[in-house]
Amino acid sequence: MRAIERKKLLTLIAPRELQRLLLDTLQRRGIGGYTVVPASGAGASGLQSGMLDADSNVVIYIILSEPRLLAVYEDIDRLMRAGYRVKAFSHDIDILPRKPRGPEGGT
Amino acid sequence: MLHNIIDPAILFFVFGVLAGAVRSNLEVPPAIAKFFSLYLLMALGLKGGASLAAGGLSMQALLALGAALFMAALVPALAFLTLHRRINPYDAAAVAATYGSVSAVTFIAAQQYLTQQGLSFGGHMTVAMVLMESPAIVMAVLLASWVRSRDAARPAAGAGEEPLPALSIRRVLHEAFTDGAHLLLIAALLIGWVTGERGAAMMQPFTIDIFKGVLAFFLLEMGLLVARQLRDSQARLSRDLVAFGLLAPMFNAALALALAYALGMGRGDAVLLAVLSASASYIVVPAIVRYAIPEARAGVYFTMSLGMTFPFNILLGIPLYVAVSGWFWP
Repeated sequence: MRAIERKKLLTLIAPRELQRLLLDTLQRRGIGGYTVVPASGAGASGLQSGMLDADSNVVIYIILSEPRLLAVYEDIDRLMRAGYRVKAFSHDIDILPRKPRGPEGGT
Repeated sequence: MLHNIIDPAILFFVFGVLAGAVRSNLEVPPAIAKFFSLYLLMALGLKGGASLAAGGLSMQALLALGAALFMAALVPALAFLTLHRRINPYDAAAVAATYGSVSAVTFIAAQQYLTQQGLSFGGHMTVAMVLMESPAIVMAVLLASWVRSRDAARPAAGAGEEPLPALSIRRVLHEAFTDGAHLLLIAALLIGWVTGERGAAMMQPFTIDIFKGVLAFFLLEMGLLVARQLRDSQARLSRDLVAFGLLAPMFNAALALALAYALGMGRGDAVLLAVLSASASYIVVPAIVRYAIPEARAGVYFTMSLGMTFPFNILLGIPLYVAVSGWFWP
């Protein structure tokens, strides 16, 4: 079995209109892999029923290393200070990598 | 007014509101609801384009389009001037953008009502609707930028806080004009215009025969959404905003009717101009404003346009504007 790796799972919850902005932000950090899931919900900025584009949310999952996570958190923090409604949180995860590590420890 | 209430599509809207109010689990799957909204825009554009091809762009049509552009600038300006000292100025800018733009579904409902009343209107009014979608967004972004720079210049601004750089108008216009719904409407209008009567005949089973049924289903979904927004939204609208949401449509419609009368527009076109001026966007503009004016609270402008102004116009506004127009037009 390939060796399990320790990574971070970053979860972003945001209005659907901000999806492109967030993905551009991730891309600037060299992150090209992510999963987007449509969502609905409610919060301080109102009800997001998911019935119209203007009131739908998305959940974006990204698996990344801790140094990259901290850099992304800085970017998200800047967006939040500007007033954008984004929730960002992370978990430690154990993941079976796509490429097993070689004997030299490379990815 | 009774004619509007007994329209099946309107009754399904009322049913949707009631079902939502009693917390029924009735739900239109989101993907289907989104398809319905795209279908309505496509059908509207195709019919408008074909009608425009048949009627051409007469001087009367050009006057109507000029009036539409004028109202598209006047309505958001008046909204911002009315609200910016009473509420958070970013919310005021967002409300101005929302009310300065238009509701395609309200426009469609108005067309249906006019047809039932035997009042004709020009295909160029669909072009007017397209023209009125975007100017308010640009105005609102400029207004928000002005508020931001004014706040940044104040000594009380938070220490160490970087103000958000003004969003470029180019970026906002790109977002506005590449919005899927907006593009589809413009494309359908052009296709309808290019293919004319022949294209309209080919598309009739799609744009005419099933139109009313889809509209009824979509209004059912809108009724459910209105009920949920009013019940579950955490935004608490101030008295000023409630008053604005109910009075502004009538005021803007009156301005539009007066302008249309002064320009010698036909009654049907005048009513549609009034409806466009009285309506507020809840699909395209709130999505763009959430991106362009993040400081504004979506719970305010979205709830106002969807929870108050949309049902008001659908149930009472459209018949009211038609009735008032009858005082001035034969």
